[in-house]
Amino acid sequence: MMFEYLFSPIKLGQVELKNRISFQPHLTNFAEHCMPSERHMYYWGERAKGGAGLIITEEMSVHPTDTAYEKLVEAFHPEVIPGFRKITDYVHQYDAKIFCQLNHNGQQCDGSISRLPVWAPSPMPDVLFRETPKEMEPEDIEEVCRYFAKSAVHVREGGFDGVELQFGHSSLARQFLSPLTNFRSDEFGGSLENRMRAPLMFIEAVRKAVGKDFTLGIRLCADEMIPGGLDLGQIQEIGARFEASGLIDFMDLSIATFYNLYLVEGSMHTPLGYTIPLAAGMREKIKLPVFCTGRINDPVMAEKVLANGQSDMVGMCRALICDPFLPKKAFEGRLEDIRYCVGDNQGCIGRMGINRTLGCIQNPAVGLEKEWGEGTLKPAPVKKKVMVVGGGPAGLWAAKMAGRRGHQVDLHDRNENLGGQVLTAMKGAGRDEFGVIIRNEKDQVDKAGVRVHLQSRLTPEEILKANPDVVVVATGSQPKSHPVGGADGPAVFNVWQVLDGKPELGDKVCLIDYDGHHRASATAERLADLGKTVHIITSSLFVGAELGPTQDLYLTRQRLLQKGVTFTPDIAVMEVGGEAGQKEIKGFNVYSNQWQTWGPFDSIVLAMGQQVDADLYFALKGKVKELYRIGDCVAPRKVDMAIWEGHKTGRSI
Amino acid sequence: MAEKKLDILVILRECSDPRPPVRLMAKGAGIRDRGLRCLTNPADLEALEHALELRDAGVARVTAVAVGPKSLEDSLRLALAMGAERAIRVWNGVLAGGDAVAGAHLWQRVYAILRPDLVLTGNRLLDGGSDPAPALAAARQDLGCVSAALSLLVKDQEVEILRKGDRGSRQKIVAQLPCAILCEAGFKEPRYPALEAVVTATTQALETWGLEDLSLPEWEVGALGAALDQGEFATPRPDPLRSTTPDPSLPAFERILALLSGGIQPREGKMHFLPPDEVVESLMEIFQSEGLLPEAKT
Repeated sequence: MMFEYLFSPIKLGQVELKNRISFQPHLTNFAEHCMPSERHMYYWGERAKGGAGLIITEEMSVHPTDTAYEKLVEAFHPEVIPGFRKITDYVHQYDAKIFCQLNHNGQQCDGSISRLPVWAPSPMPDVLFRETPKEMEPEDIEEVCRYFAKSAVHVREGGFDGVELQFGHSSLARQFLSPLTNFRSDEFGGSLENRMRAPLMFIEAVRKAVGKDFTLGIRLCADEMIPGGLDLGQIQEIGARFEASGLIDFMDLSIATFYNLYLVEGSMHTPLGYTIPLAAGMREKIKLPVFCTGRINDPVMAEKVLANGQSDMVGMCRALICDPFLPKKAFEGRLEDIRYCVGDNQGCIGRMGINRTLGCIQNPAVGLEKEWGEGTLKPAPVKKKVMVVGGGPAGLWAAKMAGRRGHQVDLHDRNENLGGQVLTAMKGAGRDEFGVIIRNEKDQVDKAGVRVHLQSRLTPEEILKANPDVVVVATGSQPKSHPVGGADGPAVFNVWQVLDGKPELGDKVCLIDYDGHHRASATAERLADLGKTVHIITSSLFVGAELGPTQDLYLTRQRLLQKGVTFTPDIAVMEVGGEAGQKEIKGFNVYSNQWQTWGPFDSIVLAMGQQVDADLYFALKGKVKELYRIGDCVAPRKVDMAIWEGHKTGRSI
Repeated sequence: MAEKKLDILVILRECSDPRPPVRLMAKGAGIRDRGLRCLTNPADLEALEHALELRDAGVARVTAVAVGPKSLEDSLRLALAMGAERAIRVWNGVLAGGDAVAGAHLWQRVYAILRPDLVLTGNRLLDGGSDPAPALAAARQDLGCVSAALSLLVKDQEVEILRKGDRGSRQKIVAQLPCAILCEAGFKEPRYPALEAVVTATTQALETWGLEDLSLPEWEVGALGAALDQGEFATPRPDPLRSTTPDPSLPAFERILALLSGGIQPREGKMHFLPPDEVVESLMEIFQSEGLLPEAKT
């Protein structure tokens, strides 16, 4: 056994888990009319099938004033019980345990959804929702207690094995605990004992409602990471007091608040396992089982955390969204088959934040487990000769899925390595992990029986001569050849050229950012790392306009500033002129309409969009039996859509 | 030929079939018994074959005994079909979870009641475990016990046994009856019962003995009678590795940087070279500046 600790059983209260992997709570937006849905059932069921020992559901609302998101399950309605039963029955058949997370978000709520005032310990607006709440009266606190208890009864009746109360980054309980949000002068504010009073009342109410034998735990925020907030030392004390109450069975942990949401859901730029020191700090003081969550995407790392005694359970969230079968593969020692999460955040947090259903750039089946989950791939009725042109993410996925269905697949790519544009994108500063997307698939493509032909530039005639039944064109895109006047002049380069390290750049570089995403900012950062003086001109209000939902904005901006990059926002660039070393940029402010010239710069880098590379498609159109056009060569988008289309096409051939 | 027929007691045990892959429970918790295929221990069947050969020669009567739940009746009916005269299954729910000492106690009662001239069983269990209970019971009952027997030859009140020794050596031993002999597996082909015998055996009566038949109290057998307490499998909770956590005295921004730097570095130690009379004062100063001492009240 490779993972001695990871696959050892553990008891949380009366519940014995078969291993130490917990699928941690996170929003899914799968709820329908604020009720648990079939999508929930298949989504959690897939992770149970994949071998996770414990599943903790997304937060469920306990009170009408708790409407942080539009699609939260309202656990205080008894109507949720039948849906809960379906979910728990489905999960239990795979020998996994499932807990339900209950939460009241307090000030971190949006009253415009519920059309009720937001409730909080003190009338302090949250930094993200910016709504001044109502200061809770003692009766309100008692009402929330009753609703917590009521919801917990529904959870128990719904067949769950336990309940977790969210006292972490986004919760009313944390707002009571933290001096940052609790300014009360009555018995619920002031001293630590007073600040803990309301959260303890919630725990007591729930414990009384569910009985002694039901597993009950809390999720604490291990460090608020904000001046004036709670730090690890204080949370250790709070945790010890909760433990001493004897009412809880485990302690799950999170980190930070909405002041620094980028720490809650650390993106690719945060190190793997970045919260381990905090979990270890809690574990030193707490005897109850302690959880550790935060970019642990690898069973080897998880095993190390457990063996070092830094936690008793390993929380995996994005790792199991990306590959539900990670626990099973780790148990069987098939590490090379694991699809590792890269923390890109575009599919999961990037979609959640803007009220879309959960997704994953690397796993198109998220939320569609019923249709696309494990075991739904049927062998092709007719075995065809399939030719996939282009070995980027779209082509790889199309080839893999078609190969798995029994087609005879040939994958052609003109480069030396598979990966397409990903190979270039991963050269941006701090984006190396992005390349794992390709590494994850390479073996799978081989295992699917696909024949890979590298450095193979096929002409339409050669393809027609080979007479395939199906041709999938996934030839991708390239930077626009002429996005702005003067782009063909000297010392003007595009992002791909810069990342591939081809051009000789001068010391003073200006990057024109119409992209707003890593394509621009990670390139700028890389140039700064190379010692260039970088200036960014963007048409948006700020540099990195697309990075907000993925929680990359804050740290990207921080690093760019630390590296001396300067910005000019609001500018529509109209012309790039001048000779090398004397480049000038002309443009106007989109708000004030004032024209201006910037310069001189040694070189100009353009991040001004992509254009399709679809010549092959048009040459073949109407001449082959079946022709598909997928990924960037349809319209240049991001990697999630490339993989989505590749997956869908490979399934349908 | 002896005038009185030998009473031979053959002990049949069940073991898991090692050939199909087993389904493991989570690490440390063992093998899942759901869907686990069980078979009669092959060495026991060979012991039965030894006994049946003596029976065929007309010098013995064979009784097969098994301890276990109803599923063991299959093994006993097989013994009947092969030619055993009598089959007894001993079971009571409390017998579950016993160890070798508790097992030996039970077998001793069986020996004492049946008073066999010869106890035959397999030397080892197929699934890798040795079961010392029959041998321990023989010792308690003052019977001789010979292990690793390959063949046996009964002469009057003696039995001559060929034993397997180390590195292929063989040893011939003569034992006085009554005695227990543990037969090695792989040296004798158990007979294949005729279809007719198998059909007959399905309706033949099996004796079922409970604890009262053995006049044993519940607390002397099974888990209660075991000398060893059965522990639960669990991985020990490792002691926390002394880890460096973000220094709470740092401002939040610095703590974040520490976390994001990919690992928290312990703070560097400092060396102070001071004359002895200044050491105490300087230490107090350091302790105070580090927040290790409460500020002096003014």
